[in-house]
Amino acid sequence: MTDPVLEIVGLSKTFGGVTALDALSMSVRRGEIVGLIGPNGSGKTTSFNAVTGIFPPSDGTVRFDGTDITGLSPQKVYAAGIARTFQRSRLCLPLSIFDNIMVGNHGRLSKGLWFNLVRRRAFRREFERCHAQTRALVGTFSASLADRMFEPVGALPMIERRRIEICRALISQPKLLLLDEPSAGMTHDETTQLMDDILDVRQRLEGLSIIIIEHEMGVIERITDHCVVLNYGRKICEGTFAHIAADPEVQQAYLGAE
Amino acid sequence: MSRAPLTATPTTWLGLPPLAVGVLFVVLASTYAWLFLHAESEPEVLVLLAVAAVAAVIGGRTGADRALSSAMTRHSGAMNGVIVLSVVAVIFLLGTEHFPLLMLTTVLLYVTAALGLNIQFGYTGMVNFAGAAFFGIGAYTAAVMTAHTSIPPLLILVLGGVMSALIGFILVIPVVRTRGHYSAVVTIAFAVLFKTFLEVNDILGGPQGLMVGSMTILGWDFNNSPVLFGIELSFYVNYALLGATLAVVAFMFTRRLERSWLGLTLDSVRLDETASACFGIGVTRAKVLAFTIGNVMTGIAGTLYGMMVSFVAPTSFTFADSLLLVAIVLLGGMGSPWGTALAAFIVIVLPEKLQIIQEYRFLLFSVLVIAMLLFRPDGLLPRKVRDYVPGWRADT
Amino acid sequence: MDIGLLGQYLANGIILGTMYALVAVGFTLFFGVLDVIKFSHGDVLMLGAFTGFTAFLGLEAAGVADPWVQVVAVTLVAVAGTAFIGAVIARYLVLPLKSAPPLNILLVTLMLGTAIREAVRLFYPDGSNPKPFPALLPTSSTDLGNFTLRADSVILVSVGLAVIFGLHLLINRTRLGLAIRAVAQDEETAKTMGINYTMIVLVTFAIGSGAAAFAGIMNGLYYNEVNFGMGLLLGLIGFSSAIVGGLGNLYGAILGGFLFAALQTIGAVALPFASAYKDVFAFGVVIAVMAWKPTGLIAERTSDRV
Repeated sequence: MTDPVLEIVGLSKTFGGVTALDALSMSVRRGEIVGLIGPNGSGKTTSFNAVTGIFPPSDGTVRFDGTDITGLSPQKVYAAGIARTFQRSRLCLPLSIFDNIMVGNHGRLSKGLWFNLVRRRAFRREFERCHAQTRALVGTFSASLADRMFEPVGALPMIERRRIEICRALISQPKLLLLDEPSAGMTHDETTQLMDDILDVRQRLEGLSIIIIEHEMGVIERITDHCVVLNYGRKICEGTFAHIAADPEVQQAYLGAE
Repeated sequence: MSRAPLTATPTTWLGLPPLAVGVLFVVLASTYAWLFLHAESEPEVLVLLAVAAVAAVIGGRTGADRALSSAMTRHSGAMNGVIVLSVVAVIFLLGTEHFPLLMLTTVLLYVTAALGLNIQFGYTGMVNFAGAAFFGIGAYTAAVMTAHTSIPPLLILVLGGVMSALIGFILVIPVVRTRGHYSAVVTIAFAVLFKTFLEVNDILGGPQGLMVGSMTILGWDFNNSPVLFGIELSFYVNYALLGATLAVVAFMFTRRLERSWLGLTLDSVRLDETASACFGIGVTRAKVLAFTIGNVMTGIAGTLYGMMVSFVAPTSFTFADSLLLVAIVLLGGMGSPWGTALAAFIVIVLPEKLQIIQEYRFLLFSVLVIAMLLFRPDGLLPRKVRDYVPGWRADT
Repeated sequence: MDIGLLGQYLANGIILGTMYALVAVGFTLFFGVLDVIKFSHGDVLMLGAFTGFTAFLGLEAAGVADPWVQVVAVTLVAVAGTAFIGAVIARYLVLPLKSAPPLNILLVTLMLGTAIREAVRLFYPDGSNPKPFPALLPTSSTDLGNFTLRADSVILVSVGLAVIFGLHLLINRTRLGLAIRAVAQDEETAKTMGINYTMIVLVTFAIGSGAAAFAGIMNGLYYNEVNFGMGLLLGLIGFSSAIVGGLGNLYGAILGGFLFAALQTIGAVALPFASAYKDVFAFGVVIAVMAWKPTGLIAERTSDRV
C-alpha cells in the first residue's frame, strides 16, 4: 500500500543552454493525489512532458509501477498506464464527445484493417460495448453530457471540455493520471465543481494516483495529500499543504524576492 | 432517454417518409445527370444549371435535405442499392453516345482518385500536391505493361495501384517526417519532378507519350461494342461499368474506413499529433497507411483512365492537374465523400459543357477554391459528425 | 575539364544563385513577419517580368530607344508595380487568413498562383506563347583563354549582388529594418512598442515582391525569354532554397539560393549525358534533404507548446 507507483530520480531537461528542469526527485504512492506547484516557467509542465515521453529527459530516471520508463515514447508510456490532460485543452474540436473519448481508449480498440472494414458485425459489438462504457463514465461527471455523445466538442463550454478531457484520460483505466492545470480558463464555481468531480473519481477508482498542476491554492489545499513546489526548475519544498504554505522559501518564490 | 446519432424522430417531407424522399431524390438526380451529360447546346446547359440552383434552394427551405439525410442513415442499405442501380441505368440510357459516356467514366475515375486524396488530405491532413502524378503512374504502368508484357489487363489494373504505392514509398519518409508547408514542398517537388522526368525520358515516349492497350476481361476486349437487344452500344459502356464498379468500391471503402476506429485514428492524427501520441496512437503508422491507401486508389483510377483514352502524355499529369484534384476535395468539403463526388462532377463536366469555361477552367476553379476557403471553408456538402453504424440508436 | 569551361559554369551558377536568392529572400521575409508561406510568390515574380516586358513595349511605342534608359525604366516599373501587387495580396488575401489554419493560407496562395498564371496565359495578348525578352544590356565580350566574359553577365551579377547587399543593409541597418525584425521576433511586443503592424507587414510584402520582380527581370535578360509558366519553377526553387537555408533566416535564404544553383550546375556538369535531368536531380535532392532534415538544414524555431 505504501509502495510508490511513480518514482522520479534526478530528472533534468535542458533546451539548448537553458535548464528547464533541474534534478527533480519525487515519488507518488498508490491512491495519492500530489500537487505540483510553482510560479510560471518553473518546470511543472516540462516535468509532465519528460515523464510522458513528449521529449526525452536530459538526465535522471523515471520508474513506474516497478519498471524503468525513462525516455520511452509517448505511446509506450501510455501503454504502461499513465494518461494525461493538457494545459491548453487539446481536444479534437470538430469531433464528437464519443470520438474524443475513444481517442483515449485507443490502446484497447481493435485496429486491424480486416476487422474495421470487413467484419462490421464484430465492429458493431465492440462499438456498442465502448459506447456503454463511455456513457457510464461520462455519466459520473454529468448526466446531460452523457445524452449528447454525438455532438461536436467545439460547441461545448470550457468546463464540459475539461470533463471530456479527463474522461479521455480515464477511459483507458490508467494507474496514474497527470492533470495539467485543469482549472485554467474556468470560473471559481466551475473549478469547485470540477474538483468535486475529481475527488469523486478518486473515490470510485480504487488505487488511481493523480499528479495535479494547479495555480489555485484553494484547490491544492482541498484535494492534495502532499505537494511538491518547483522554482526555476528546481524542487524547493515538499510536504503537506500546511507545511509548504508555511515555508519561507515558497512564500518568497510566489511573492517575489525582497 | 437516449438520442439517436442524427435525428430522433423520422423526418418527413411533404408528408413523404424518408425512404420515399430518398428514392425520389436519386431518381431525379440521375435523370438530371443524364440530361446534363446529354445536353448539347449552351442554353440547355444554362437552363439546367438554373434548375439545379432553384431546386437546391427550395429543397433547403422545405427541409428536403433533412429528410434525405435521414433516409441515408436509416435506410442506408436500400439507398445504396438504389444509387448503384441508378448509375447503371444512366450508363445504359446514354448507351450509344460516346462523348457523354467518356465524360461520365472520367467523372467516376476522378471520384475514385479524389476519394484516395480525401483519405490522405481530408482525414489524415497530409496534403498531396502530386495527385495527378500518382494518377499518371497508373496510366504509364498501363502503357508499358500492355505494350511489353502479356499480363492480363485486369491484373495490370491492380499493378497500376501497386506501382503508385511503391513510388509513393520513396516519398513516404520525407512526407511523414515533415509537417505543413514542408510536407507540401515535398509533394510539389515530386509533381514537378515527375512531369519533367516524363518529358525527358525517351523510354517512356518523351513529350509525345505512349499508346496504351485496352482493358480485357475474360477474353472480352473493352474496345468492342457490346450489343444489347440488337442495339450496338458504345464501347465506352464497358469502361463506364468498370469505372462505376471502381468508384462504388472506393466509396464503400472510404465510408467504412471513416466509420471505424481507423477513421478516428486518422482524424486524431490530423487534428493533434502530440495528443494522439500521448494516447498510444502510432502517428507514423497512420500516416503511412493513409498515404499508401490513397496512392493505390489514385493509381488504379489512373490505370483504367489510361486504358480508356488509349494514349498517355506528360501534359495530362501536370501540377495544375494535381491542383484540380485538390480543388475537388476542397470544393466538395474535406472528408465528405458525397461532396467529393459532387465536386468531381462539377469540375469535370461543367467545362466540357460550357465551352466558354473550358479554356478558363483552371482560372475559374482556383478562384472558386479561394472564395470557398475564405467564405465557406467546409465545402459544398460539409462533413457530418462520425456516425459509426448508420441508423444506430443508443436505445436499441 | 579546363579552366575556361569551369569559369563559364561558375559564372552561370552565380547568376542563377543571385536570382534564386532574391526569390528565397521573399519567402523568408514573409515567413518572418507573418509565419505564413505565400506560394504565389513565384507567379508574382512572373507578373513582375511581364510588367517589365509591357513597360519595354510601351517605351518602344513611345520612341525611347536608348537601351540604358530602357533597362532602368523597365526595372523600376516592374519592381514598383510588383511591390504594389504584393502589398495588395497581403492586405486582401493573406492578412484576413492570418488566424485560419496554416494549411488554408498555403492552399489559398497556391490557388492564387494558379489564378495569376492562368490570367496571364488567357488575358495577356498571345499570353500562352513565350515572349522574346529584349537584350537590353551590352553583349560585348572579352575572351580570357577559352572563357568568354560577357558584359551583360558581369552587369547582371554585380547589380544582383548589390541588390542582395542592399536588402541586407535595409533589414539590418535601417529603422524600417529594425521594425521588420521586431515584428518578426514578437508581434505583440512590437505592437505595444508603437509599431504599425499592418503597415510593416504590407511593406515587407512589397519589399519581397519587388525583389522577386527584380529576379524576374534578371531572368528575362539572362534567358531572353519570359513565359507565363516561369514562376512555378522559380517559386518552387526559391521556396526550396529558403527552406534549405532555414525559414525566417535572411542569410540562410541567400545561402540556400546559391546552394541550389550549385546543385543544378553540378548536376549539369556531373551528368553531361543527361543534362536534361538537371531539374529532376535538383528536386530529387530537395526531397532527400527534407527526408534527412525535416525542417531544413538550419532548423526553424518551433512553437508547438504542450
